[in-house]
Amino acid sequence: MADKQYSVEINDLAVRFSTVDGVVHAINGVDLKIEKGKTLGLVGETGAGKTTTALSILRLIPNPPGEITSGSIVLEGKNVFEYSEKEMENIRGKQVSMIFQDPMTSLNPVITIGDQIAEVIQLHEKIDAKGALEKAKEMLELVGIPGTRAGEYPHQFSGGMKQRVIIAMALVCNPQLLIADEPTTALDVTIQAQVLDLMQKLREKYGTSMLMITHDLGIVAEVCDEVSIMYAGRIVEHGTLEDIFDHTSHPYTEGLFGSLPNIEKRTEALKPIPGLMPDPTNLPEGCPFHPRCKYATELCKTRMPVKTDLSDTHSVRCLAYEEGTGVTLGGEKA
Amino acid sequence: MHKYVIKRLLMLIPVILGVSFLVFFIMSLSPGDPARTILGENAPQESVDALRDELGLNDPVVVQYARYMGDLLHGDLGESYKSGRPVFGEIASRFPATLKLAFWGMVFAVVLSIPIGIISATKQYSITDSISMVFALLGVATPNFWLGLMLIIAFSLHLRWFPSGGADAGWKSLVLPVITLGTGCMANITRTTRSSMLEVIRQDYIRTAKAKGVSHNKVINRHALKNALIPVVTVIGLQFGSLLGGAVLTEAVFAWPGIGTFLVNSIKAKDTPAVLGCVIVFSICFSIVNLCVDLLYAYIDPRIKSKYK
Amino acid sequence: MNTSVKKRSMAAEVWQRLCRNKMAMLGLGILVIMILGAIFADVIADYDTMVVAQDMKNRLQGPSAEHWFGTDEFGRDIFARILHGSRVSLVVGLISVSVSLIIGGSLGAFAGFYGGRVDNVIMRIMDIFLAVPSILLAMTIVAALGTDLIYVMLAIGVSGVPTYARIVRAAVMSVKDQEFVESARAIGASSPTIIFREILPNCMAPIIVQATLSVAGAILSTASLSFIGLGVQPPAPEWGAMLSSGRSYLRDAMHITLFPGLAIVITILALNLLGDGLRDALDPRLKQ
Repeated sequence: MADKQYSVEINDLAVRFSTVDGVVHAINGVDLKIEKGKTLGLVGETGAGKTTTALSILRLIPNPPGEITSGSIVLEGKNVFEYSEKEMENIRGKQVSMIFQDPMTSLNPVITIGDQIAEVIQLHEKIDAKGALEKAKEMLELVGIPGTRAGEYPHQFSGGMKQRVIIAMALVCNPQLLIADEPTTALDVTIQAQVLDLMQKLREKYGTSMLMITHDLGIVAEVCDEVSIMYAGRIVEHGTLEDIFDHTSHPYTEGLFGSLPNIEKRTEALKPIPGLMPDPTNLPEGCPFHPRCKYATELCKTRMPVKTDLSDTHSVRCLAYEEGTGVTLGGEKA
Repeated sequence: MHKYVIKRLLMLIPVILGVSFLVFFIMSLSPGDPARTILGENAPQESVDALRDELGLNDPVVVQYARYMGDLLHGDLGESYKSGRPVFGEIASRFPATLKLAFWGMVFAVVLSIPIGIISATKQYSITDSISMVFALLGVATPNFWLGLMLIIAFSLHLRWFPSGGADAGWKSLVLPVITLGTGCMANITRTTRSSMLEVIRQDYIRTAKAKGVSHNKVINRHALKNALIPVVTVIGLQFGSLLGGAVLTEAVFAWPGIGTFLVNSIKAKDTPAVLGCVIVFSICFSIVNLCVDLLYAYIDPRIKSKYK
Repeated sequence: MNTSVKKRSMAAEVWQRLCRNKMAMLGLGILVIMILGAIFADVIADYDTMVVAQDMKNRLQGPSAEHWFGTDEFGRDIFARILHGSRVSLVVGLISVSVSLIIGGSLGAFAGFYGGRVDNVIMRIMDIFLAVPSILLAMTIVAALGTDLIYVMLAIGVSGVPTYARIVRAAVMSVKDQEFVESARAIGASSPTIIFREILPNCMAPIIVQATLSVAGAILSTASLSFIGLGVQPPAPEWGAMLSSGRSYLRDAMHITLFPGLAIVITILALNLLGDGLRDALDPRLKQ
């Protein structure tokens, strides 16, 4: 256990945003670890704090209004909050790179895609402009775009093609960690599969670790080794793919699975989670999930659950798994 | 791209025809009799009638217009009622002075406004931002002729740094008129640059650039600026129109020997051919600047360029 | 019924957002004071005895307790003249903008609604108007028709027509294919009814903002025309004409030029602040 190598370790991260409507507690004590070469899925609804977690790793939380109030993020044995801005620039795009959700808006409309890829090469490698452009073209070929198109502008490409360009840009400097923030959400279903497949292939080729942010459990099942389920700025359940899919423990995770249509058993009704994510400016007392939890008891409204380890790999934050709380999940005492 | 330029140049022709007709038509509504104006109150009616005939004032407006346009094609803008000299020559001799004023006014406005706008946007809500926005608001609200008079009071009557009028003192006589003319444009362009920049730095592709490890200054200069300039270029083109209008007033304040002063004097003298000539020349200048702006636009924004390839 | 409730609540919401904008409130406050001043100008300073009557004994006096802004070259109280001048500015501003709005708005609405050839013809004519810098167009019209106030208003109004034609056309084109227009057409409403009853109320936001800003522009244009002697004629008090007449006394009596100019700056500033505030309040998406 102790000799495991992590490409990133996040401990007790908390981020808040000060807005006119009040202080938004976006992240409230998140712990994450990604083993080298492995993929961690970060799953949750919109507004759970997934993207904020990812941007924190790159220290790209806009400040103001965002502010990291506690915690540490360790990359290669050093806390990123101790780096200077200059050192951080060397890490971004080189050690850690990121793929964003919307390929339509993530590329600069007035710079050719070749130059946009070449820029990241020139920033992080000792290479002249011509060599960088050559390498950019090779990278384009690798993601399935003819290198001759390097001189074209983003508006001349389709959404799926743009996402390939962004993937090329993210992987061209061979980063140790790739953060993919819902990389396929904005794409057509058929393109989604191609893009995911491409990412998987390149990631395996370079041995890159990945943080896959998604709300799609199907994608998780396909590409992830471990999964963290996030709710209202906290990790409510964490485990291996098997732990989460076969030994689902947290009522919220259960709800997520219940919201998925089952293609084999089409007669089975969906069991959506009632209600909405709590307002992050005004989180409820106790377990933040209690207003939507069908097992909630009086205790859940006042007591914040702590992390309970169910096995070496599987942990959960729910009072039902804590000793002596008397909370149960539908009779079957865990 | 060449095709596009030629197409746009050809499109100038109907606009110039339209403008000249519009101005010609408006001037023809004038109730006074130009022949009477030229000959004076006491001239006998016979000679006035004779002059009317000679000037073709008895023909229908459309015929007069056709004749005028025919002459215009030969570079003939008619003769000034007041001086009797060809209007073309009168305008041509004054054109360089106005061009000089307008050019430096625009340079003054652009060179100061864009950097101030960028700094304001990148340091939103800072002291620098607040101060420059207050000045921009005041700059937009200040009539240039009044600003000119205030500058004269301060810098020529009291400090005696610059002359209060005329164009005889070289660059010194250009300073106050240029500031007078350029301030309004500068304020407008500053505001546009700031808001456009603020819009752009919130875009996803700016975050992408940061995630690539691009430094803050390079994000602004390389990734944000070119995008932010697209609306700024539009505003610069539009501002050129008010700059030309402003030139008339600025010239009036500083007795600048340009087309503006000539236009104001011609209006007062009811010198129709001169007024027509001036307005048409100003409008052609404005149209050409707008054409240049559109071409610049295509240069900055590849999405537009590819449409015309 | 439902829509009227919704409309009122929307107006209330806009008003609330506007109230939160300190700069816009400052602009609105200045304007309210100005409008009150213009309405009660006769009560504060009598037109015949204080504004136009000459008093050569007291000419070119600096600001004092008796004459707050001093007196001009004919001994007239500048404060009283500025106060009465605000009537001219506000009236010219409002009427000329109404002229632009009515003519330009109708042209734009028809162009946008019918599209095709109608659109093409109207907009090409507007292009021609736009090719003449607006103050020059106004100068030409005044030069031809004469310097009566009515012609000044008409001139400034006409030079603003293309702006409104463009705004209204764009707004109409963006709403004309939406469902509420389709449904009006389906129940047999005629085209003008659809334009004026259904479409225009739905594109008020950009029009209100532009109107506020162009009242400022119209006031500035009036002052500019008067400054070069083409606008309001003496002895009627008009800010541009007043500061123009002070040009001969710049060295010894700069207050004649200073105060009318400040009146223009403050008025235009107030209108611009309000216009900016309205834009943010009407379209919260644009606010940073």
